[in-house]
Amino acid sequence: MDRTTQELFVEQVREHHAGLRGFVRALGVDPLWVDDVAQEAFIVAYNRLEEFDRERDFGAWLRGIARNLVINERRKDARRKRILSDNLTDVLLSSSSASDHEEEEIGDNGLAKLNALRACVADLPEKSLRLLRSRYEDENSALDIADEFEMKAPAVRKALERVRVSLRKCMEKRLEAGPVTESA
Amino acid sequence: MESNSRAEALLSEFLSGDASEEVLRELADLASGDASLASRIRTELEFSEMLRQSIGEDATGGDVLFFQSKAAFEVPKSGLFEKACDGDISSVECDQLAKFLFDSPGEVASLKKRLAEDEWIREAVSGSRSEEAFIEALETRMWAETVRDHFVEDFQDRLEREISVVGEADNIVEMPVSWTPTVLKMAAVAAAVVFGAFMMTQVGVNGLPASNSVATVTKSSADVKWLGEHVPGADGEVSVGPYELERGIVALKFANGGEMTVEGPALFEVKDDATAHVYHGVAMARNKPFKSGITLKSNGLSVSEPVPLIGIDARSEFSTEAIVFEGDGGVCLDGGSCRSLFEFEAVKADRNRDRLVDIPYNPQPFLGGWELLSGVEKNLGSVRIEMPGTTIESTDREGEVQVFVENESFRPEADLEVDQIRTGHFASAELNPGQALQARGDLRSYLLQLWPTNGVEGEEVEASLTFDHEVVGVIYSSDRLTDSDLSVGTSIPHVGAEFNKERGLDLGRDEILLSDDRRTLNLKLKGGELEVDQIRVLVALN
Repeated sequence: MDRTTQELFVEQVREHHAGLRGFVRALGVDPLWVDDVAQEAFIVAYNRLEEFDRERDFGAWLRGIARNLVINERRKDARRKRILSDNLTDVLLSSSSASDHEEEEIGDNGLAKLNALRACVADLPEKSLRLLRSRYEDENSALDIADEFEMKAPAVRKALERVRVSLRKCMEKRLEAGPVTESA
Repeated sequence: MESNSRAEALLSEFLSGDASEEVLRELADLASGDASLASRIRTELEFSEMLRQSIGEDATGGDVLFFQSKAAFEVPKSGLFEKACDGDISSVECDQLAKFLFDSPGEVASLKKRLAEDEWIREAVSGSRSEEAFIEALETRMWAETVRDHFVEDFQDRLEREISVVGEADNIVEMPVSWTPTVLKMAAVAAAVVFGAFMMTQVGVNGLPASNSVATVTKSSADVKWLGEHVPGADGEVSVGPYELERGIVALKFANGGEMTVEGPALFEVKDDATAHVYHGVAMARNKPFKSGITLKSNGLSVSEPVPLIGIDARSEFSTEAIVFEGDGGVCLDGGSCRSLFEFEAVKADRNRDRLVDIPYNPQPFLGGWELLSGVEKNLGSVRIEMPGTTIESTDREGEVQVFVENESFRPEADLEVDQIRTGHFASAELNPGQALQARGDLRSYLLQLWPTNGVEGEEVEASLTFDHEVVGVIYSSDRLTDSDLSVGTSIPHVGAEFNKERGLDLGRDEILLSDDRRTLNLKLKGGELEVDQIRVLVALN
């Protein structure tokens, strides 16, 4: 493989990693294993790069690979599985195919969505940001966060849900407004 | 009516695991035209799954399963969505969610969207999930899983060309000096099959500068004997190349911080990319978590993902065994399939059958290597360094101080209270007000244990341990041991047992000394007791 091809591949990783990770998660992969599965998809793609038709959408090709990897997860024995549940993944896979519009929507423009989201997160009020960090960075459960913030667990869940809804709206608004550049 | 009884019969065969493909096809045909039968099959399968879980490896008690199931049925759909997004959804709840989704296909897209958004929030908020972290991890994996294979192919091609040149020019290979690193780099990743030929090439490049040191011998057993001309330097420097160790055990430290032990008789080769190929013998490698370290390879098998602590037993002609002592990783057959390997798992690569086979976890062959890696520099008296994975309990180690590495590296979340101890003086263990642990940064925790002799009069047990790192805290009071269990992340299976109510040292009887340089701990423990003696030793890693 020549240097140019390798460089192009690195560009593709930068372009598609966020979308691919979101797509993998949407197939019911355990959050702790999302990166692992996504990386595996990139490695498979790299090894088969010669087979890739450059006229096609690289993101869609990657998602096809990731989809097959997730299908394979169902065949593994329980302790090696990287999905939350066979049944759940079956249902999520059943509505996901190469020609599915909804699938494309999830996987496509992942980087733009991530950049929009980063900008939205930066604008959050201090308490919401702390709540979000406690949940997503420190991986605390709602019960642990409730202790930390002297709140009740249901109130934490509600607060997190409100933050998510506002972030979703903000992200969509930013995407509609035009291209989002990466925030510092 | 007839079709109902036929469906029942087919379902019965299906659920008892006897259904042939033909039966399944027939059952599927019947279910496709009968919604109630399809629903019945789903319910039966769900129940079968619950039964399987209730009697399987992760079995929970029947009552617990019942309450879990009941709880799952009581969780509203939005709650199940929430739990799925959080990733802490139980298998019963997953099944319940799958059932909801099966009945409401319109909701599937909504859940997928939420899961994807949740993932992006995680990536946006958490530094460990950033683009840089992802790409760095991907690069490491790609190097391990793809790049080296190309190097092997490239090297084989180059080698064939060079060997033909050797034949034509009276065994003299002339190479521009600037080629040396390239050739050595290729050699470093060459497969075993070209090893012999590689040696010939090395002979041919004698006129070139000697290869650089890539590792240092940090420890060795007293009986070490090397064979052949290529041996470590007097200062312990280890350069690229093959080594033959007739007997003894050595520990090597690589420039990237990775450590490795090899036990003789062994034949191994050290390469310039921190790869070690063990052709024969027993080897262990310790890497810092989440860092690239030493890559161990052996006959027919290689470690594909760095593992914090892994061992390879390549003493047999027919197979190679790999065993993970700490952390998770992966191993691959040469040019073949790969698989993940989790803590306390072992596999065997069968050379005749070209496959990986699960084998029982048996750390005994690695005991010698582990003594050098455990961080206990010297030990005297009745001491036994226990292998990782050994449960902190025993009945056959009476009269022997067991040393368990409880936690290789951790940073205490809360302030730890340790016992007060004056250095340089033997003193009886006494009640004391304790003190907060002053050390900051990463610690390693050891638990020293002397098993009780159930009141049978025994001799005093003396032991001395010198650690690699400075001892920053000693805990010998029973209460403080219990209070610190959680902080060091250990689990003592016999807490609450009669002999374990006072698990520390016997106050006023057992004696302890910490040397002035805080590296050596001497113990005089009275035998013939009813309760276990335990001491927790905390050393600072940085």
